[in-house]
Amino acid sequence: MNQRPHLVIEHRELLARATPRPDAAAKLAATPFPSDRQHPQALHGAILGSPHPHARILAIDTGAARALPGVHAVLTAADVPGQGSYGLRHIDRPVLCADKVRCVGDPVAIVAADTPAQAQAALAAIRVDYEVLATVDDPVCALAEDAAPVHAGGNLLHAMTHDRGDLAAAEAACAHVVEAEYRSPRQMHAYLETEGGIVEHDGNGGLIVCFGCQNPERDRQVLAAILGLHPDTVRVVGTPIGGSYGGKDELTIQPLAALLALHTGRPVRLHLSRSESVDLGVKRHPMQIRLRTGCDAAGRLRFMVADILADTGAYATHGPEVLDAAVEHVSGPYQYDAVSLRGRLAYTNNGIAGAFRGFGAVQVQFALERQMDVLAARAGLDPLAFRALNLAAPDAPGPLGQQVLPFDGPARALDVLRTHPLWTAPRSHTDGRYHYGTGLALVHRSDGFGKGGPNTARIVLGLAADGKIELRTGFTEMGQNLVGAIHALAASALGCAEDDVRPVIGDTAHTPDSGPTAASRATAVLHRAMQQASTDWKQRITVAGARLLGVAADSLVPAAGGLRDHHGTLCISYPALAAALAPAARPLLTLVIAAEETPSDVPAAHYVFGASAAIARVRVDAWTGQTRVEHIALLAALGPVVSAQGFLGQMEGGALMGQGMATIEDLPTHSGRYQARNLDAYFIPTLADAPAMEIIAVENLPDDDPVGPRGAGEISVNVTAPAIANAIAAATGFAVRSLPVKPDDILDYLENTP
Amino acid sequence: MSTVRFKLNTQAVSVSCAPDRRLLDILREDFGLIAAKPGCGVGRCGACMVWIDDLPANACLVMAFRLEGRSVRTYEDVAADAASAPVRDAIARCGALQCGYCTPGLAMTLTHLHQQTPRPDREQAASLLSGNLCRCTGYGGIQRSIEQLFPATPPLSADNSGDSQ
Repeated sequence: MNQRPHLVIEHRELLARATPRPDAAAKLAATPFPSDRQHPQALHGAILGSPHPHARILAIDTGAARALPGVHAVLTAADVPGQGSYGLRHIDRPVLCADKVRCVGDPVAIVAADTPAQAQAALAAIRVDYEVLATVDDPVCALAEDAAPVHAGGNLLHAMTHDRGDLAAAEAACAHVVEAEYRSPRQMHAYLETEGGIVEHDGNGGLIVCFGCQNPERDRQVLAAILGLHPDTVRVVGTPIGGSYGGKDELTIQPLAALLALHTGRPVRLHLSRSESVDLGVKRHPMQIRLRTGCDAAGRLRFMVADILADTGAYATHGPEVLDAAVEHVSGPYQYDAVSLRGRLAYTNNGIAGAFRGFGAVQVQFALERQMDVLAARAGLDPLAFRALNLAAPDAPGPLGQQVLPFDGPARALDVLRTHPLWTAPRSHTDGRYHYGTGLALVHRSDGFGKGGPNTARIVLGLAADGKIELRTGFTEMGQNLVGAIHALAASALGCAEDDVRPVIGDTAHTPDSGPTAASRATAVLHRAMQQASTDWKQRITVAGARLLGVAADSLVPAAGGLRDHHGTLCISYPALAAALAPAARPLLTLVIAAEETPSDVPAAHYVFGASAAIARVRVDAWTGQTRVEHIALLAALGPVVSAQGFLGQMEGGALMGQGMATIEDLPTHSGRYQARNLDAYFIPTLADAPAMEIIAVENLPDDDPVGPRGAGEISVNVTAPAIANAIAAATGFAVRSLPVKPDDILDYLENTP
Repeated sequence: MSTVRFKLNTQAVSVSCAPDRRLLDILREDFGLIAAKPGCGVGRCGACMVWIDDLPANACLVMAFRLEGRSVRTYEDVAADAASAPVRDAIARCGALQCGYCTPGLAMTLTHLHQQTPRPDREQAASLLSGNLCRCTGYGGIQRSIEQLFPATPPLSADNSGDSQ
C-alpha cells in the first residue's frame, strides 16, 4: 500500500476548476478552419483514385481531360518534380501512383479547374488502363508464402519480439492457464472536418500550405522534397484542426494540392468528401491477438505468451510504431517470471491503417484486460484484487526490460477505485429483460515516442513588441485545449497572468520545430519547457526592467501585468517594458527540450508512463442483444492536472471513443473495399448513447519525479474499451473476445446457454 | 439553370443555379458563409445545421428549388442575435466545444430548442440533439450545457407511462 495519501481531484472539483477555453469565443464566432479558407482566384482540385484495391497501371491518357473547358492542370506521377514517395519510417507511399495501385482510392491523377463541376468532368475524362491483380485482403493470407506481394520485398512489413525469463519453468509453476484469441476492429477516426485546405502563393516564389496537421515542420520538409523546392520556400500553417485523433498526423492530400498550385501558378483548394476521406484516410489497425497467460494457485501471474498480427493495409505510415507499441503494452503494468511476446505487421490491400488515439496499445489492452478477468475468476479472486496482487513494483523495469521512470500510478488508480460505489455494489444481476454488469480495467500507457523517435522539441519564448509574452511552438490545436494549456503553464512558470501570454502555434513561418503533436506529448513537453525556462526568464525580464528603471534587479518580481516590487506595486507593465526596449534587447529564449528516453539500449521502448483505471456499468438487452453503457467512472493517474477543461475533455471524449470501439464501431472490408464510406453506415456514438461519466484525477507522482504531468490524450480510450468489454462479460457471462461486441453474438450466446 | 429567390439572414437574395444544387454549397461557395460545415453530406452529422423558416435543417439535404420564398438563417446571423447568447455562453462555460467544428451546428439546434415555448425539458432536448454528432467531447460538456439551459426532466409518473411531459 502507498505511504503517502492520494491527491485526488473528484469530478465535482474538476468541473469547478474548468474555466472556459481561451479560444472558445473565437470558435463560437465560427472562425474559419483550413478547409473553409477561400481565395477569389482559387482553382478547385480533385483526385482520381483507383477503383481497384490492387492493380497494375498499364497506361494513363489525360489528353481528353486536358482539353476540357476550365481545366488548368491534369497531373500524374510523371509531373512530380521531386521525391515521388513519402512515409515515416518506411518511404513507401507514392504521391501519385505510377506503376501500380494498392488500395481503393489510391491517387492516380489530379486536376485543377475553375469550378468543382469542371474538375469532376475532367476526372471522368481521364482514361486509365489497369491490369487487375489478386487482392490481398487478409493479414494471415498476406503472410502466406504464395501471397501476391503488395510491395516488392514481401508483405511482412515489420516484426518485433521480446523474450524474458524461463518460460517452461514459469508455466510449470502455474495452477491456471488461460489461452484465447482476441480480435479488435478497424475503427474510423470520424473527425468531423474531412481533409481539406488551400495552397496559396506567397508572391516570392514560395507556397503557403494551409491544411490541418499535427506536425507543420515535418510536413514542410516532406512537401519541399516532393515539390523539389528549398524548405525555406514552403510555409505550412496547420491549425486549427476540426478533429484529428491521430488521423491527420501524416500528410494525405497536401502534396497533391501543392503540386497543382505549383503547376498552375494559382491558389488551389482541395477538400475531400466524406467518402473520399474514408478511402484516403488512415484507420485504426485491426489486430488478432493470441494470449496464453498463467498464474499460480495463489493467483500470482507467472508467464505470458502473446502473438499479435496487425493489418497495416497498403502503406506503412505509423504501422511499425503501432506494432511496437502493441508489443510493449500487451503485458500491462503487471509482473511475470517470463514473457514471450511476438508481433507481426502485414501489408494488405485493405485501405491504410495508421496513427489513432490509443496507438496499438488499446487493441492489446482489450485482450489483456479480458484475460486478467478470466484468470482472476479461475484463481477465485476479485478482479481488482487480482490486478493489485500482480502489479509490477513502481521501480521495476518496463515491459521490454527497459529502465523506466519509477511510477506508482497503477497502484493508486486501483486503490482509489477499490471503494468506489460502482465497484462495491453487486456487479451483476438480471432484471427481467435486462442483464446488468460492472467491469473494471487497468492500463498503463506510454508518453511520447519510443526510444529513437522524434522526442525532442524546440519552444521559443519572447517578449513581443506589444508586451505580450509569446510562447511559440509548432504544436497544433485540434480540440485538446493546447491554447489553454499554454496560457496556464506559461503563467504559472513565468510569474505572469494568463492574459499576459500569447500562444503562437502551428505555423512554420513563426514557430519552431516542436516535433509531432502526438503520442500524448504536447502538454507534457510544454510543462517541461516552462520548468526549464522559469528561472532564466524571470532573471532576464527583471534585469531588463531594472536597467530601465535604474533599480536593483532583485527588487523586481515578474507578476500579473508586469514587474512589481515586493509589496505588489506595479513598477512597469509588460507593454511599457517592451516599448522601451530595442527589439534586440527584449527577452528571448529558445528552449531545446531533450528527449525523455530510457537509458536502456532497447529500440522503440518508452521511458515515461501514465496510468488509468475505469469501472463501467452496462445494461444488456436480452431481447435485442444491444448494450447500453450506463455509467463510467474513470480515474486518471497522470500527475498534476494542467488544464481542467482540457483534461475533462480528453477523458470524456476518449472514453466515448473507447465505448464506440467496444460496442458499435467497426469498418470491415470485403475484397479490399470498405463496407461503409460515410456516417450513415459507420455509426459513432451520439448524445443518446453517452453514459453518465465521472472523471477523477490522482495527482501524485513519485518523489523527485523529473517529468511532471503525463499526457492525457490517449489513455481514456485505452481504459474504457476493455472496461466495457469486461462489463458486458460480467452482465451476460459471454466470453467477449472480439470488439465491437455484436448484438447477434450476445443473442446467440444467451439463447444457447442453459 | 433556374433562379430562386429567398431570404438569407433577413436579406432578399436570388441565386441562379441548377435546381438540385445543395444549399450548403450555395452558402459556402456563393455567399462565403462558412459556419455551416460539410461533415458528411448525407444529413447525418448536423454540422451544416441552418434554420429554414425558423426550423433546423441540414443544409446538405436541401436543394435550391426548395428555397423559393423561404427564409434561411445561418449561424453567422444567429450568433449575432442576443437570443443565442445563453447558448453560446453555456457552450463555453461547460466545455461543450473542443475542436469547434460541430459547434455552429450544435449551437443552431440548441438555440432553436432553447427558444421554444414551452421550453423542452432536458430529456427531450438531449434526444433532439442526437442529430448533432460530436467526436471530441464525449458529450460531457454538451450534457452539462443542457442541464444549464433546460428545465429538469420531471420524474416519471407512477404508472410509468413515460409520456406525461
